Amino acid sequence: MLGAFRSALATPDLRKKILFTLGIIIVYRLGATLPAPGVSYKNVQACIQAAQKGQQQDVFSLINLFSGGALLQLSIFALGIMPYITASIIVQLLTVVIPRFEQLKKEGQAGQNKMTQYTRYLTVALAVLQSTGIVALAVRGGLFQVQCPDVIPDSNIFTLIVIVTVMSAGTAIIMWLGELITERGIGNGMSLLIFTSIAARIVAEGKTIFNKGDESGRGALILAVVCVFALVIIATVIFMEQGQRRIPVQYAKRMIGRRMYGGTSTYLPLKVNQAGVIPVIFASSLLYLPDLITKLAFQNKTNWFVEFMSQYVTNQSSWVHLLIYVALIIFFTYFYVAITFNPDERADEMKKFGGFIPGIRPGRPTAEYLNFVLSRITLPGSLYLGIIAILPNLFLSITGSGNNQNFPFGGTAVLIMVGVGLDTMKQIEGQLMQRNYEGFLR
Amino acid sequence: MRRFAERIRRFMQRPGTVDLGRAWPVVRAATAAEDSFRGLTDAAIQAELARLRRTDGAAPARDESIAFCALAREVARRTLGQRPFDVQLLAVASMLSGRVVEMATGEGKTLVGAITAAGFVLRGRSVHVVAMNDYLARRDAEWMRPLLTALGASVAWIDQHSDDDARRTAYRADVTYAPVAELGFDVLRDRMRVDPAELVVPIPDVALVDEVDSVLVDEARVPLVLAGSTELPRPDPVVTEVVAGLREQTDYEVDDERRNVHLTEAGLDRVEQALGGVDLYLGENVALLTEVNLALHARALLVRDVDYLVRDDSVKLISASRGRIARLQRWPDGLQAAVEAKERVPSSPAGEILDSMIVQALISRYATICGMSGTAVAISEQLWEFYELHCGRIDTNVPCVRDDEPDRLHLTAADKLEALVQHVRERYQAGQPVLVGTRSVAESEEVAGALELVGVPGVVLNARNDAEEALIVSRAGEAGRVTISTQMTGRGTDIRLGGADGVDHDRVAGLGGLRVVGFGRYHTGRLDDQLRGRAGRQGDPGSSVFFTSLEDEIVRDFVPGHRPPTVVDGEGVVHDGLAQMTVDHAQRVAEGAHLDTQRTTWCYHQLIGIQRAAVLEHRDDVLHRDAAVELLRTRRPERYAEAVARVGEAVVAGAARSIVLHHLDRIWVDHLAYLDEIREGIHLRALAREAPLHEFHRIATEEFPRLLPAAHDAAEATFAEAEIGPDGVDLESLGLRRPNSTWTYMITDNPYGTPEERFLEYIGAGLRDGAVRLGLRH
Repeated sequence: MLGAFRSALATPDLRKKILFTLGIIIVYRLGATLPAPGVSYKNVQACIQAAQKGQQQDVFSLINLFSGGALLQLSIFALGIMPYITASIIVQLLTVVIPRFEQLKKEGQAGQNKMTQYTRYLTVALAVLQSTGIVALAVRGGLFQVQCPDVIPDSNIFTLIVIVTVMSAGTAIIMWLGELITERGIGNGMSLLIFTSIAARIVAEGKTIFNKGDESGRGALILAVVCVFALVIIATVIFMEQGQRRIPVQYAKRMIGRRMYGGTSTYLPLKVNQAGVIPVIFASSLLYLPDLITKLAFQNKTNWFVEFMSQYVTNQSSWVHLLIYVALIIFFTYFYVAITFNPDERADEMKKFGGFIPGIRPGRPTAEYLNFVLSRITLPGSLYLGIIAILPNLFLSITGSGNNQNFPFGGTAVLIMVGVGLDTMKQIEGQLMQRNYEGFLR
Repeated sequence: MRRFAERIRRFMQRPGTVDLGRAWPVVRAATAAEDSFRGLTDAAIQAELARLRRTDGAAPARDESIAFCALAREVARRTLGQRPFDVQLLAVASMLSGRVVEMATGEGKTLVGAITAAGFVLRGRSVHVVAMNDYLARRDAEWMRPLLTALGASVAWIDQHSDDDARRTAYRADVTYAPVAELGFDVLRDRMRVDPAELVVPIPDVALVDEVDSVLVDEARVPLVLAGSTELPRPDPVVTEVVAGLREQTDYEVDDERRNVHLTEAGLDRVEQALGGVDLYLGENVALLTEVNLALHARALLVRDVDYLVRDDSVKLISASRGRIARLQRWPDGLQAAVEAKERVPSSPAGEILDSMIVQALISRYATICGMSGTAVAISEQLWEFYELHCGRIDTNVPCVRDDEPDRLHLTAADKLEALVQHVRERYQAGQPVLVGTRSVAESEEVAGALELVGVPGVVLNARNDAEEALIVSRAGEAGRVTISTQMTGRGTDIRLGGADGVDHDRVAGLGGLRVVGFGRYHTGRLDDQLRGRAGRQGDPGSSVFFTSLEDEIVRDFVPGHRPPTVVDGEGVVHDGLAQMTVDHAQRVAEGAHLDTQRTTWCYHQLIGIQRAAVLEHRDDVLHRDAAVELLRTRRPERYAEAVARVGEAVVAGAARSIVLHHLDRIWVDHLAYLDEIREGIHLRALAREAPLHEFHRIATEEFPRLLPAAHDAAEATFAEAEIGPDGVDLESLGLRRPNSTWTYMITDNPYGTPEERFLEYIGAGLRDGAVRLGLRH
């Protein structure tokens, strides 16, 4: 792999692309640390210090993770890539609800371009909305929920408008940076920016771990152990993500002379982790609900239900919570795989295009066979997802409570990071392959 | 600053429309100088030409451009009796700077093309005028010959009947008119030559593409394929017979788009029983299953007179995009034989792919590309994406007054035909010439038959009577004439009001000019415009209208399950804005699908092209230099010495060359077949979130390094065994290649979409079901 990277850097064209991508990423990180005008950098730092000591809220943690910590810094890129992701999801959702969008989706590239355009407009709208919300929250001191100095000392309306404008413009710029990477750099721009944000948190989290450990005087040791664990986890995730079962498929639509080829290269791949990161996100979102309900329904009252809830269900270190979490992940994995893979549809398609699994008749028997293999392979897949997801909870005593999503060595973070990393490597590899023909024959 | 502006434009996603008006000052200056050129003697014109001639290929200075425009106008007036309009000279100036121009039908594109070609020749370059078909290549070359000769350029043309010598001579001319397919085949055939003296195609310089949208976009979906004959098992008559006895619905099912067919459970049982109780889905029976599938495809999906004609005891394909016989096209991989078995005609030799190339690769070989068409701006984005060409529109000489009426949408196909027949009859009785545009041979005959019944005599122009084409088209503007045609692109000839000589022009113009009636929309709006453009040429009056129905193929294929219209009158005419949008939507979906196919074809061919270039580089070393001898001498010194002692060095060198070339070509053919095999199932990789294209590249790249060593080993083995006599080596026994046919491949990359999209689709279906149940949606 390192060899591939070295030869990638030795190819001028590819080197340019990689350096361009790195350049964009640096710009992105710079913007993430640059405070918006009117924000007091000193006060923000003081607040973050204070917040780390106290109980951190989960509400902004995902956004903060995706913005690489820029949110709480109130930097010009405070909103990160989240508005764009939200806008994409909304536009995607609209394609199944609004007939006009449904039509656009089917019109190929031209329709796609129009939808991208709508996504961009929506991103800017969402950015204005979100930045207004955050600025309002910051002015009222609600952003950190701890006692600390005003982060926007001179909060007249003009300053606030400037901050909102700058943050919204920042989001538009991030969107542009992402598109630039996709167009002229290497890999998918949006994914790489998310990757960057998550990776940027590693250092901060490492520091937190070190500080916590330092109180007992063994900071360096704990950090080292965590790092070893992290490497093992990442290696495991890489290994599992590449695992697949290959079902041979033959096509009987073309008469070929001479000989049969391709026997081993034509297959239907079933991944061990066919579902990706989505079941984990579903499960963790669902687990926020009890917390929300108890807060809304019972306000500050206490009874046995609230007690039970906070003791077992919402407490991330309780085994009840962990069991429910894993069970939900397993359920969602099966659910998601069943819908997205859909053995019946795959069997139908194979029948339509003249493909078949040797020895198995098309239609129902094929669907049943696929179903059988799929349900077997999904079991280890879902268990693996569950374990990776609860890893951060097992480290809670080291990292402090409430940091489930943030912990960069497990859960969604590591799944996303490895996924993006693998994809980008594959792209580099692909570009490299195409360029390696020159002088290759002599 | 310019890049910044470009960035903005790309951000705003404006199509690459460029301003062609910048050449106006040159054209005006040429017009101002017109009189001084009018008086020149022929000798003076030749002297002026000699002054302008240069050999370095560079663009001329401004005053030279002006002189050239004025000169070309004067020469055209003298030789052809046509004085080029200012807009035509503007088009020439734009094309000389490498642009694509859009000019309406009847604005004299052929003349523009010829003057442009002469302009390039004057700069010391050679031009290939890329035409759509044989007919246009020959006609344009002969028509423009006096003009080009007078401007000092030699002219030649090529069609499919030209032999190698004629081609070599033609390519030596300054301006060569050739159909795109022939250009491609010449390049492909040259890649298979074993003797340097046999090479045909010179180094490509300037490509001037006529009907640029058809040639570079529509036709570009189909790769040019060079094929050689090979041994394939003939279809078993028993299979054909069994399949002929199957019934739709019970024994086999066809999908909505009528592109795929498969046996049902019952049909499968029936076939297996009839074939003697075999299990078709065992791995070892794949050949028999393939035969059944091909026979079924021929039976259920290919319709006589729509997809092919049977003429002279053979099956002729009809090109879907052109509505004429595609002489060079065959169906691939045994399908042709299955259709021949179905029609009980003798089967033609089967072929295997020797080499293939896409139009993009062919055109990209040229140093300069320019082009013209009646409908180019609509595809400016593709022209930029695939060819890096800019494109702009040239105004008509006289403003166009054609009246394009809105579509008349009908509920059923029967209503549509009825309404169209009534409409044409009314116009016919009034004496107005009518041109009916249809989409297939069968449709054109259906319309002609229906018109006949109500007493309207129509002239049909379709794949069956290409030969009389020019005559039929030139008379289509006569009063009281009804012409029913398949697609009009590439039909070349102008429709002049009042007939070819225009004697009756004013009377026909008084009747409203040519009435264009479309029998349903084409799969792209450009073809609709091509049809419309036949009316209202050079400021003539004219009008157009399309009759569409919700049962039209385009709606059925691309918007299956559309919402039924709510407002329909007694005659089956739909007055419903949403339903009208459905037809527009269907056309856009079709355009999108075609573009996707083209892009996918392009992506998959790109890597093959790179690999091919690498192999060809080595092949050139063998062909033009002595790489072959060196290879075999180092590998088999004793055998080499023995052969040289017996027949002499030169003969051994020739033998070595043909042995190595043979194996190089053989290995490439096998590699192509292997890649085809891979491509067929590569879309399955998308199920594991892998990019099929990338996986394809990976497999192809891993395979590639094995090619040359394998070819060399095989060559060594042949060298050790083959008889080398005084006449060299006899490779006939190894049997190889007889080129000459194209066939079509359509590739889909990822038919599944991402898992997220599929999940969303599932949720959406649930939502829609819920909405229907709650009565919120119909």
